[in-house]
Amino acid sequence: MTKMLSQLASLLPGILALVTALLVSVLIAWALSAILRRSLAGFEFDRRVSQWGLPAVAEWSPSSSPTLLVTRAIAWIIILMGFLIGILAFDGALPSQFVVRLFTYLPDVMTAIVVLVAGSIIARFLARSVLIGAVNMNLQYARLLSVGVKWLVTVLAVTIALERLGIGGGIIRLAFGILFGGIVLALALAVGLGSKDLVSRSLERETSKTSSTNMKEPVGHL
Amino acid sequence: MELDAISQPELEQIERVGNADLVIGIFDLEHQEDGSTAVAMTRDALAELSMPLRAIVVCHNGSHSPAATTPEGTGDDRSPIVSSCSLPLPGSAETPLQSVSNAYRRVFAVGSKLGVRACGVIASGNRDATRQWIYRLIQPVLDLGFDFVAPCYTRQKMEGLLNRNVLSPLHRALYGEQLENPMGPDFGLSGKLLQRILGQDSARRGGSEHNVLAAIASAAACGGFQVCETHLGVRTQRPTDWGNLSTLLAEVLGATFVEMEGRAAHWQSIRGSKTLPRFGSPEASPPDTGTVDVHGMIESFQLGTQNLQDVWGLILPPTTLLELKRLSRVPENQFRIPDHLWVRIVYDFALGHRLRTISRDHLLRSITPLYLGWIASYALEMQTAGLAEVDSRIERLSKAYEDNKSYLVSRWRWPDRFNP
Repeated sequence: MTKMLSQLASLLPGILALVTALLVSVLIAWALSAILRRSLAGFEFDRRVSQWGLPAVAEWSPSSSPTLLVTRAIAWIIILMGFLIGILAFDGALPSQFVVRLFTYLPDVMTAIVVLVAGSIIARFLARSVLIGAVNMNLQYARLLSVGVKWLVTVLAVTIALERLGIGGGIIRLAFGILFGGIVLALALAVGLGSKDLVSRSLERETSKTSSTNMKEPVGHL
Repeated sequence: MELDAISQPELEQIERVGNADLVIGIFDLEHQEDGSTAVAMTRDALAELSMPLRAIVVCHNGSHSPAATTPEGTGDDRSPIVSSCSLPLPGSAETPLQSVSNAYRRVFAVGSKLGVRACGVIASGNRDATRQWIYRLIQPVLDLGFDFVAPCYTRQKMEGLLNRNVLSPLHRALYGEQLENPMGPDFGLSGKLLQRILGQDSARRGGSEHNVLAAIASAAACGGFQVCETHLGVRTQRPTDWGNLSTLLAEVLGATFVEMEGRAAHWQSIRGSKTLPRFGSPEASPPDTGTVDVHGMIESFQLGTQNLQDVWGLILPPTTLLELKRLSRVPENQFRIPDHLWVRIVYDFALGHRLRTISRDHLLRSITPLYLGWIASYALEMQTAGLAEVDSRIERLSKAYEDNKSYLVSRWRWPDRFNP
């Protein structure tokens, strides 16, 4: 009992240091996010993000505000750092090893987050491009094509992120291969079936053009 | 002065000319020929004017023959002296509209370098009519003191649809001037207006969407310049490239909306519109040829309504989306898009373009099914109509643009607060 109490007492300074570190980091995070929120609002960051062609960031953000997304992300990073510094105050090799490993892992986590966010934005952008393009080409499978492209990019981004984090290893690669191949096959079938009409329409147009070369098309736009 | 639009060999050609009263640009991009025909046509056209003039003809034939720069006259003191200068052919990556815009820029730069009093540009290829067209575009500037001469073409009822249904009524509602073809492409300009456009162009050239062709009429309207129109006759119409219709719409509407955004402070206070002096008499219209595939257009509209609701939902208000959904279920023979709906769609797209609600390219391309729906509705309505009925139909549409301008102004000023 005494041994247990003395061990608990030996942990007390560490716990105190952890709580202090957390409190300080929360304070710093709060102050920094307040300053950042104000500067970003002055810079009209929300409007500029959509002006830069990244409205998907707004859709992703809490209350549709990229400013809130940035300030909250930075606040949480500071709090996490404070927590890790607090853990270092504990005696013993285990906590320090844990923190060191966590710090070495952090760049991979950040890279994975960036890849996921970029993947999501690119997926939405490409999906919209394909949807509009396919509708303008009169393809009946426009939505299917667009969803296919969106999933293709999303699967690719998730796989890269997981690979970066070192999760799954060979299974992820295998699953990616199967999924990617499946989506490509589905898209190829959709394009093949969808463009059947398109090809026949364009052939019809060509035939009618050659059979009536002297006939002027009645529709002009400019 | 935008002399970076001209390369060194061309600059040397121009310097050899010295000075000129007039610059004529002839872009017959489909029929390349040497400058001698253009020089002869210009000399004939200028001979009809009351004063002797020194003119330079800028052709886009890609050759750099120094001989072509030699001034040519007939020996008579009162005969015009015409020299020519050739500029390179458009790059293969350029779209037709971009090449015309860049060619305009070069002609303006030549005019500015030589300090000309007037400038005429013939961009639609109709070789038989070029001589008359030069005269009709230049004469009001030199003899009557106008700054801007816009063209009026003789058209069949299904020609110039984008012009008739969007560009012309939009220009009329925004700037208060009833111009039939605000984007020409054949124009006559005074040296004063040319300098103004060049100045504004060099300030705005950073934006890739800026197109000098879309800026000419609005610069004239906003700058208080004297504007008139002249009948030119039948314009050779290029066949419609249906595969690239969305690219054409994106280019033309993108340039128009950019211009609209840049001049918002001016057009917001304008109400109503005025007719402009019009010279010459209209030619008889050639008979209508062929039939319009309304079925395919309505199919495109329905496909768009099914699939693009998410995209349109970011640009159009809910009431418009509801009306579009209802229209997509209407039988083909009853398919009619009301004027006020079409006008508000155009205005909402202009606003979406300004606010960058989504990528501008996506926004502009997503209007294609709506445009095809409108064209189908117009074609069905005008199936048996004569030219007079077509004119009164376009007048009704133009009035709808004017009547709904308050809607545009409200949404433009308070996009978040005013969302019906």
